[in-house]
Amino acid sequence: MSALKTYKVLELAESVSGEYAGKLLADFGADLIKIERPGTGSPTRSLGPLLARDGAAPLECSGLFAYLNTNKYSVVLDLSTAQGQDRLAQLLRQVDVLIDDHAPGYLAGIGLDPQRLRESHPQLVVCSITPYGQNPPDERRHAEDLTVFHSSGWGFHTPSGASAQRRPLKGAGRFLPSYEAGLEAALCIAAALYEREDSRRGRFIDIAKQDVLASRVDYVLGQMVAGDMDVGTSRNAFDLFGPAGIFACRDGYAYIWMSAPAHWDALRKLLGNPDWMNEFPERWLERECTPPRVAQCRAQIAAWLKTRDKDVVAAEAQALGLILVPVNDAADLLRSPQYQFRGFFREVEHPVLGKALYPTVPYRLSETPAGIRRAAPLLGQHTEERLLSKGSTSHG
Amino acid sequence: MAEKNRGGPLQGLRVVELTKVWAGPYVGKLLAFLGAEVIRVESLESLDVTRVYGVSDMNKAPGFMAVNPQKLSVQIDMKTPQGVQLILDLLAKSDIVVENLRPGAVKRLGLGYEAVRAVNPGIVYVSMGMYGNEGPLAYQTGYAPCFAALGGVSMLVGESDAAPEGMNVRYADSTFGAAAAYAALVALLHRRRGGSGQYVDVSAVECMSSMIGDALMAYTLGGQLQRAEGNRVPDMAPHGVYPCQDGEWIAIAASSDQAWQALAGAMAQPALAADAQLATLAGRKAREDELDAALAQWTAQQSAAELAAALQARGVAAAKSHASVDMIADPQFWERGFFLEVQDGEGHSRTALGAAWKMTDGARICDGAPRLGEHNAYVLGTLLGLPESRQQALSEAGITR
Repeated sequence: MSALKTYKVLELAESVSGEYAGKLLADFGADLIKIERPGTGSPTRSLGPLLARDGAAPLECSGLFAYLNTNKYSVVLDLSTAQGQDRLAQLLRQVDVLIDDHAPGYLAGIGLDPQRLRESHPQLVVCSITPYGQNPPDERRHAEDLTVFHSSGWGFHTPSGASAQRRPLKGAGRFLPSYEAGLEAALCIAAALYEREDSRRGRFIDIAKQDVLASRVDYVLGQMVAGDMDVGTSRNAFDLFGPAGIFACRDGYAYIWMSAPAHWDALRKLLGNPDWMNEFPERWLERECTPPRVAQCRAQIAAWLKTRDKDVVAAEAQALGLILVPVNDAADLLRSPQYQFRGFFREVEHPVLGKALYPTVPYRLSETPAGIRRAAPLLGQHTEERLLSKGSTSHG
Repeated sequence: MAEKNRGGPLQGLRVVELTKVWAGPYVGKLLAFLGAEVIRVESLESLDVTRVYGVSDMNKAPGFMAVNPQKLSVQIDMKTPQGVQLILDLLAKSDIVVENLRPGAVKRLGLGYEAVRAVNPGIVYVSMGMYGNEGPLAYQTGYAPCFAALGGVSMLVGESDAAPEGMNVRYADSTFGAAAAYAALVALLHRRRGGSGQYVDVSAVECMSSMIGDALMAYTLGGQLQRAEGNRVPDMAPHGVYPCQDGEWIAIAASSDQAWQALAGAMAQPALAADAQLATLAGRKAREDELDAALAQWTAQQSAAELAAALQARGVAAAKSHASVDMIADPQFWERGFFLEVQDGEGHSRTALGAAWKMTDGARICDGAPRLGEHNAYVLGTLLGLPESRQQALSEAGITR
C-alpha cells in the first residue's frame, strides 16, 4: 500500500523542478494528473537524453521525461482557450494539490492568484517553485539552474580547493538545483497536507531555488551571517583543509578522507608503516596540518593509489577504519552489490522506450514503500479517461 | 502542550533527534521550521562534535548553532539503563524519531526500532546511514564527500578529459537530511489516514544518485556514460562561467536562440549576431570553444554585477558568481526574510538562516539553538511528569545534567 494513494495532485509544472516534486509524490502513490500543452506536450519531452527508437514519435523518446514522470497521468489541455480553462477549473475542484514551476505571475494569469487562493480555492495546497520566489528583483528575472547555482554561493566555491585562476564549475549534471528545489517542495506539500487533515485548509507555498540551495550550506552560511566565520572573496571560503580529496587509481578514482589520528593510523597499517609517514609528527592532521605536509602526504597517497583498484582498496581501507571510497559512475552503480541489495534500480517497461532499469528513491519505508507502477505517460494518454468521460464530481 | 507554539503546518507534532553533526540535525531543523516541536536528546558523555570542535563554550558553538535553531535540548546519559528508559518514555509520547548514529549504535543502546515500536507502535522511526541500514556494504562509513563520490555525483564535476573534482566538500549532508525529512512526513501522512507507524531507512549515497537521476537514465536507457564536461550542457550554448574584473566571475546561460541573439547584441559583435550557423543550438554547440573564448575576452574587464544586470535587461539569464561576502550582502536574502533574527534562551539575538520557503500561515522562526540540557525541566517534568524530587535524584546520579 502506498502512503499517498488517497491524495490527488494536479501538475501544471513544465520543467524539472516541478516535475520532480510531482514524481516524488506520485512514486508514493499519489494520483497525479499532468497537464500538457497540445502539440509539443511538456518541454521536458524535448530534452535529452533522446533515445533512438525506430519509428517512434520524437516526443516519446526523452529519457529525462521518462524519469521525471513515472506514475503520472497525462491530460492534454489548452489553457489558452475558455474550454481549457473550464476543464482546469473542474479538475481543480477534484484535487488536493497543485504544483507549478512557471515564472511568477503565471498562476495569477490563469485565475489562480496566490493572494486570493483563500477565497477562490480554500482547500487547495498550491506550490510554486521559482528561481527567486514570487517577487524577484528585476535583475534576476531570467534564470537557469546554472545562474541560480552561482547566485546561491555554491558555484563560486565549486570545486573545493580551486585556485583563484581556475574557473568555477557548475556542479553535477544539468539539474541539481531543480532536484533540490523539487525535494523541498515535496517536503512542504507533505507538511501542508498533514495540517489540512484537521483544518481542511489549503495553503500557498512559495519555494525559491536560490534559498533552497543556500539553506543546503547552512552549516557554513549560518556561521557567516552570524559573524562567526570570515567572509570575503576567497574561492576556498567553504573548504576544509587537509589531504582529503580524489585520487586516480588503476581502474578509476577513489576519494580519501583524513581528518583524525585514527585515519592516519589506519593508513599506516594499510601501507605497512612506510618511512615517509614517520617523518610526520603525531596528530599532525589536527595540530600541524601545514601546506607542505599536505602536499607531501597527497603525493605519497597519489603514488600508492595509482597502482590499486578502487573497490579492492576501499574494502581494505574500510576494514581498518580508513575512510576511502570509490568514485562511482553510472556503470559502477548498476553493478553495486549494495544498490542491488536495496533494489535501487528497478525495471520499468515503457511502450516506446522499452524495458530499462530506472533509479528509484533513496528511502525504504517498511509499510508503504515507493514504487514505479507505471511508466511515464504518452502525450495525452489519459485525456479521455481522466477528463472527457468523467463528470466534475466534487472531491470530498 | 508544546513548550512553544509557533504555528506552521506541523504544530503539535513532536520529533526526537538522536543525531550528530549535520545530516540528522538538518532533518530536525526542517521539521522545526515547519512548526514541529523538535527535541534533541544529547549526552554529555557522547557529545555532538559540532558542540565542541574548536570552541571553548559548548553552548555557543557556531556550527552547532547554525544547524540547530528552533530546537529543544534534553541531556540524558544514553549509556545508562535509566537514561535509555527515560528516552523510551519520551519516544512513547512522540511522533517521529530521527537517528544518524554509527551503524548499529542505536540497537546496542537499546533504542533500535523494535525497542521503540514496543513502547510506541505509531512512531515513525527514521534511520539514516551512508549506505542505508542493511546490505553488503552497510558496514562502511564516511562523510559527506564520500556520499557524493559513491553516489555518482563527484564523477560529473570537473573539466572535460580531466580527473573528476567533485562538488564542494560541504555538499551532501543537507540533501540527505531533506530527503529523510520528506520520507518521514510521507510516513506520517500514512499514519494520519489510519495506517501504522513504520521504519524509514534512508541511504545518503542513494540521495546523491537522486540528484543525477537523468544522467543515470542516459546510461540505463541508452548506454551513454556521462562524464564531467566543464560548464557545458547539451541543451544550451553558450552555457558557462566567465572571468570578470578583480577575480569576479559571471555565469551566463543562453536559454534559447532569442537569448543568444540578445547576448550577441550585448557583446556588440555584429558578425556573431549575423552568423546564420550560430542562430541554432546545434550550430552554437559546434562552435562552443570559439564562443566561450569570445565571451571570456568580452567579460574580462567588466564588473560581474553590472554585466549581469545589463544582460538581464536584454532578457539573458546571467548572474554574478557570489563569493561568501556577496551571499551575506545579497539584498534578496534579507528582503525575503531568509536571513532573520533569532533569540536564544538568555535573550541574546543572533542572525540566522530561515526557511527556504514562504507559506501561508508558516511557522514563526524566532528561536536560536538550545544550550545543552536547556529544556530538561520541560521534558522531564512537563512531558514525562516526573516530580521534582525524581528529577533531582536523576541529576544527582548523573543521568541527566
